Amino acid sequence: MATRPDDPWVTIVWNDPVNLMSYVTQVFQRHFGFAREEAQARMREVHEHGKSVVSSGGLEQMERDVQAMHGYGLWATLQRSGQ
Amino acid sequence: MKAFEVRGDAAVAELDDEERMVVARIVADVGLLLGGEAFGMEERSIPDRLDPGEDVERYLRGLEESLAEPGDPAVLRLLPNAAPTDREVADEFRRLTESELRDLKIARLRTMWEQLSEDGPEWEVSVEDALPTASALTDVRLVLASRLSLDTDDDAERLHTEIELAAHAMSSDDGHEWDIDPERVWLGMLYQALTWLQDSLVTAMVDAEAAQGEPHE
Repeated sequence: MATRPDDPWVTIVWNDPVNLMSYVTQVFQRHFGFAREEAQARMREVHEHGKSVVSSGGLEQMERDVQAMHGYGLWATLQRSGQ
Repeated sequence: MKAFEVRGDAAVAELDDEERMVVARIVADVGLLLGGEAFGMEERSIPDRLDPGEDVERYLRGLEESLAEPGDPAVLRLLPNAAPTDREVADEFRRLTESELRDLKIARLRTMWEQLSEDGPEWEVSVEDALPTASALTDVRLVLASRLSLDTDDDAERLHTEIELAAHAMSSDDGHEWDIDPERVWLGMLYQALTWLQDSLVTAMVDAEAAQGEPHE
C-alpha cells in the first residue's frame, strides 16, 4: 500500500477524458510499483469516481509523485490528508 | 495507417508519407507550445549577436514566466496546478519542477518527431521507448483535447458522434447544410487517430512485457 492514514500529505489523481485506461494502469504499475490488479483497481476508481488517492507521505515525497504524474500527462494534485 | 504491433523486440506501426507529415507537424507544434526550439532547426538557436543587457533581460523575463501559471489552457493542462487549495504549495511546486517537466516533455516529443521524420512507412518504437512515446502521445492528445474543449468523458463521446455526422455530410456533399467547422473536424479526426495509435502502442507494450514473463514480480 502506498497510503497510510497518519501521513500528513496525499497525492490525488483526477479523471480526465484524454488518458486511456490501459495507459493509466501502466503508469501506476511503473511509478508506484503496484501489481497489475492493484493498478487496475486504482485506475477504475479514478475513471468511475472521478479521483483516487494514490499515495501519501511527507510533502517532498508527494511533490515527487505529483511531478512524475504530470510527467506522464496525468492530472494530479497534492493536499494535506483529511482535507 | 496501421496500428502498433509487436515485431521482434519492438512495437511497429505503419504511416504513409502524408500521415507521418501531419503527425510530425502537430508533435513539433506542441514542442513549440512548451517553449522548445523548432525541431529540425536547432542550429538557428545560436544567436548571431551577443548583447549582455538583452540576454539578462530575456533571462529575467523567462524566470518570471516560469513562476506564473501558464495563460494558455493547453499548456496549463500539460503543466497543471499541483495544489489548487494551497497557493503557496502550488507556487513552490511550479518553481521547483516546471522547467524540468518542460524539458522532459520537449525531449520526448523531439525523439518522436525524429522517428517520424525518417524515411519509410514503418514507425519502430523500442521496448525502452514505448512508455516515453506513449507519454508524448498523451501530451499531444491533451493539447488537441484542450483545443477541442473536451473536458468530460461525455464531451469525448460527443466528438465521436460529431465526426461521424460530419464525415457522412461531407461525403454526401451537403456539408453546407450542417454548419460544420472543418478545422474542428480535422483536429477531432487527428485526435482520434492518435488515440487509436496510443492505445495500440500500450497494448503492444503490455503484450511484450507479458511475453518476457513480468520481470517486476
